[in-house]
Amino acid sequence: MRYIAIRLGLSVVLLIGVTIITFVLTNLVPASPITAALGERAAGDPKIVEAFKKAQGLDQPLPVQYFVYLGHLLQGNLGTSIGTRNPVTQDLAYAFPATAELAIFAIAVAVVIGLVLAVVAALRQNRFSDQLIRAVSVVGISVPTFWLAVAAYFLFFFVLHWAPGSGRLSAFYDPPPRVTGLFTIDALIAGQPDVAADAFAHLVLPGCVLAVYTLGLLVRFARSSILDVLNQDYVRAARAKGLSPFRVVTGYLLRGALLPILTIVGLAFGSLLSGAVLTEQVFSWGGIGQYAYRAATSLDLPSIMGVGLIVGLVYITVNFVIDLVYGFVDPRVRLG
Amino acid sequence: MTALPVSRRRALRIPVAWRRPAAIGGAVVLVLWVLLALVDPLLGLQDPLKQSVGDALHAPSGAHPFGTDELGRDVLSRTLWGVRASLPLAVALVAGSLLIGSVLGAVAGYLGGVVDEVIMRIADLVFAFPTIILAMVVAAALGPSLTNAVLALLVVSWPNYARVMRALVLGARNQEYVIAGRLLGAGPFTSLRRDVLPNVSAPMLVLAMLDFGNQILLLAGLSFLGLGAVPPTPEWGSMVADGVTQFSSWWLATFPGLAIFSVVVAFNLIGDSLRDALDPRTAGAVQGSSI
Amino acid sequence: MTHLPARITALTATAAAVALIMSGCSSSGSSTSTTSNKSLVVDNTFDLKTSDPARAFELTGSIVDKALYETALTFEGSDVTKPVPQLTTYAMSPDNKTITLTLNGKHEFSSGNPVTIDDIVWSYKRVQGIAGNPSFLLSDLSTGKPFAITKTSDTTMTITDTAANPALPYILPNPSLGVLDEKTLEKHGGSIEKTDSAESYLNATSAGSGPYELSSYNATSQVVFKLNPHYVGPKPAYSRIVLKNVTGPSQKIDVQGGQAQVALNLNSQQVTGLASGSVAVAKTTSANLGYMWLNQNPTVSGGVTNQPGFVKAVRHAIDYSAIQKLAGSGSTQPGGIVPSQFLGSLASDSANSTDVAAAKSDLSGSGYKGQTVTLSYPTDATLDGVSFADMAQSVQSNLQAAGITVKLNGLPIATLLDSFRAGKLQAGLMYWGPDFPDPSDYLTFSPGEGLGLRAGWTSAMSPEVTKAKDAAIAAQGDARAAAYQAWQKAANADGAFVPLVQAAKYVVTNGATGVTPNAIWTLDLAKVK
Repeated sequence: MRYIAIRLGLSVVLLIGVTIITFVLTNLVPASPITAALGERAAGDPKIVEAFKKAQGLDQPLPVQYFVYLGHLLQGNLGTSIGTRNPVTQDLAYAFPATAELAIFAIAVAVVIGLVLAVVAALRQNRFSDQLIRAVSVVGISVPTFWLAVAAYFLFFFVLHWAPGSGRLSAFYDPPPRVTGLFTIDALIAGQPDVAADAFAHLVLPGCVLAVYTLGLLVRFARSSILDVLNQDYVRAARAKGLSPFRVVTGYLLRGALLPILTIVGLAFGSLLSGAVLTEQVFSWGGIGQYAYRAATSLDLPSIMGVGLIVGLVYITVNFVIDLVYGFVDPRVRLG
Repeated sequence: MTALPVSRRRALRIPVAWRRPAAIGGAVVLVLWVLLALVDPLLGLQDPLKQSVGDALHAPSGAHPFGTDELGRDVLSRTLWGVRASLPLAVALVAGSLLIGSVLGAVAGYLGGVVDEVIMRIADLVFAFPTIILAMVVAAALGPSLTNAVLALLVVSWPNYARVMRALVLGARNQEYVIAGRLLGAGPFTSLRRDVLPNVSAPMLVLAMLDFGNQILLLAGLSFLGLGAVPPTPEWGSMVADGVTQFSSWWLATFPGLAIFSVVVAFNLIGDSLRDALDPRTAGAVQGSSI
Repeated sequence: MTHLPARITALTATAAAVALIMSGCSSSGSSTSTTSNKSLVVDNTFDLKTSDPARAFELTGSIVDKALYETALTFEGSDVTKPVPQLTTYAMSPDNKTITLTLNGKHEFSSGNPVTIDDIVWSYKRVQGIAGNPSFLLSDLSTGKPFAITKTSDTTMTITDTAANPALPYILPNPSLGVLDEKTLEKHGGSIEKTDSAESYLNATSAGSGPYELSSYNATSQVVFKLNPHYVGPKPAYSRIVLKNVTGPSQKIDVQGGQAQVALNLNSQQVTGLASGSVAVAKTTSANLGYMWLNQNPTVSGGVTNQPGFVKAVRHAIDYSAIQKLAGSGSTQPGGIVPSQFLGSLASDSANSTDVAAAKSDLSGSGYKGQTVTLSYPTDATLDGVSFADMAQSVQSNLQAAGITVKLNGLPIATLLDSFRAGKLQAGLMYWGPDFPDPSDYLTFSPGEGLGLRAGWTSAMSPEVTKAKDAAIAAQGDARAAAYQAWQKAANADGAFVPLVQAAKYVVTNGATGVTPNAIWTLDLAKVK
């Protein structure tokens, strides 16, 4: 319990660090959000500039601005985006589930396919199928995500017309009533199977593109940890006893290899979000990645801070949970 | 003290790695690219900067095997010249983060205490950000240019090296020969330099090799977002970005994309083989952080 | 690896298609169907920030506000040379200082409230009072003094400028001057002071008398419109319109595949070969004008760009036809800074013509000694789909052919504008979109005026141009066109700006008609059939 408390405390310190870094960085930028937000004529009018500064709190000294921000943050207020004029929390509440839906789908695809490939490769070590799967995994981590996104979009949408267009839903559907923010789930909850199918069809292509890197990573790690387990005495004993290969794989191999796989899923989260920035840009996905790009290039300080916070929060939470699971799965690493 | 030279030689026994076909393939591709980078001006290709708006967006043909871009420039020569932007910068980037990360990691691991805490918490902080978002903000702040993209990526890529270095140094610090060296009167920095570093350099180099591919991908990714290469420099990421706006001209994005892919695969194959040749204990440390 | 996702995609696509067909069958009899055959999808690359007319000044914002709000005066179709009545009729005073607006029949807001003179006065005062982006529309451009807005009776009002302002009726059709429902808004924080807080209400629920109301609004993905039952004009053909944020390349595929009936942001290379079957491409010349500036401030110019000979050399070195090829067929090279479709535009000027020999001789007499000139341009903005990076590279190779060394400096527009507005950039490419279709909007490109100062161009440097500008302001009636042309001639002869190109603007439709591009609001959604 003490361990959990310390980890939680550290997480809060980390998050505050994240806000300081983003705040300092965005204020180093040799441009002001005023020019980014105001039109040609308006920026020439000192009265309008003054009113804008005042409305955004930009007339205060920087440290004051930062503490005002922190104060609002404690009340759950992330400020108003200069770009969209919405409360940042509202923007993030829309963008975050979009990325989450994409990331969950990608991780699911990567884990399922990746584990199957890893088990096959490990069981047939150094044979042709192993070599092939290892080659696939190297390809997976070497292919530029943004290029793969463009190529996949071109091929499956433009040439073959298999995949639906960009965005999360076809234009003739309205987003389902919001419960979780994940369109597929919300549509099912609302009893609109057609909308759910449409949302899912939109998810497949960007999701698979995003999964490729994680998949490659997972295969190479899972393969080597399964190989380690294969050579353990208890697995040899089980195989010698004549247990069916399926039982050996599910009962011993995967269980034994669970920890390294968990680690990878945690670490992959960061690369997944990086991939999301590039993939969302190509697929007009409207998630955190696209939001972050817009915010970074238009110097929308409140939005950048919001993105930094939520991404930091997710990263810290995921790794926290994985650590806990780690301790739960493997008593040896249970920490006092 | 006789143990010292022996263990040095063991850690650097790399040639085993080169016996694997994958590593050889990777090395061949890489050498080809390096040669191309050196002889590009001698190949008699069309000038990668020469525009001819009348010949814009021609599909691949005899005159232009890879087609032409939106300003009528030859995509083949731009793709081949692109290596001159990507490779040297990736080398600088990896060398830079290796240097910064190693120094900080070694200092943290060797000295421990407050120094360790401060350095590693800063590393955690950088880890908590997705690489590209932080790099994006830095690049947007500094203004787009390849040099600034490299600086931005330096900011986000050193902690990985620092972590591994720290773990390796922690492991080596309590080895008998290191303790012996200290007992013989070596100060902390002499001890680090003379006794510890030679024994951790092999895994660090392997880590750097594995990291090359990633750094090339990230650099190209920043250029793709318009935060890296400045036109008219031929650079693969920005060439792919051009292809995105000219969707029907598939050749614009395809060839530079394949070029990135081939270089990254080459580095990954070599890095993989090198890692497999490492001693399993240190390999574990490298494996866990080669992301 | 690639075969796996491919198979998955195919499977799900098939599954989705089956589900679609089935749901189509099952929902044809039910009233809860989410699809409608009278639904229109319009693809647009969003620059949307708000739908509050008094704050909106973006291209997407004006498309949205045009559908939601009516204005006192308007333009018919794409003809922006003649203001016509909408909510009011108008009369100009003989001294051109005052415009009188008279209520034009009965109009109703979506709330059912009638449109009154008070609503118009309140809406205009709100534009002035809340100091948003479009506030300048209702103030004198040279002095910055707000127009006097006065209710004169229950059916009439006046707007008065301090000096003669023949542009007044051309300003009022701007969708940013859309008339809002005062009674409804005052219940939701609406005010004509800076304390106004009605923006969030307006971004959720519109409050206008236009053909549509907001059904849903998301500034980054899509805006959905539904019919305004109280609209008094002819009923629009579509009961539901989805304006979707889609990038150019995807717009092409959308409109080809029929997922969108209208695509607004395709460039010339993307529309090549697109028109076939039900897909039609309409082409007009955009009123957005791409220009190059050369800083005249001795400390910023590096002693180069402020030399008259150097500026002349640049004007002759640029290959305008190459830029036009980039900008597509239908693009033009304007003679001056006023776009070709407006009063007072200049057809061509020999000062801005390609002549490499002349460029070289001008350059040799300018004292240029091979210094590097930095050419800045925006990386994340386009001139009607034409990339500034492409134009900048084209200009760079032209200038280098004439012997001028050029370094490109692409910047995100936010960063670029900051340095440009401070007058700190040596040279660069930018664009100007019209605020209202009158040449007086372009006087800012004069020495000592807003844009002029960004290029370090003070009135003392070019007294001739300043004189011509004053003459253009003073000119009345039919003399205006000639006076504005003379001003542009003078600016081309001795000035900091080189007008480069007006791109072609393409609207691609698949199965929709009635799509008339307009220089001020791009497209009137209610007119699409």
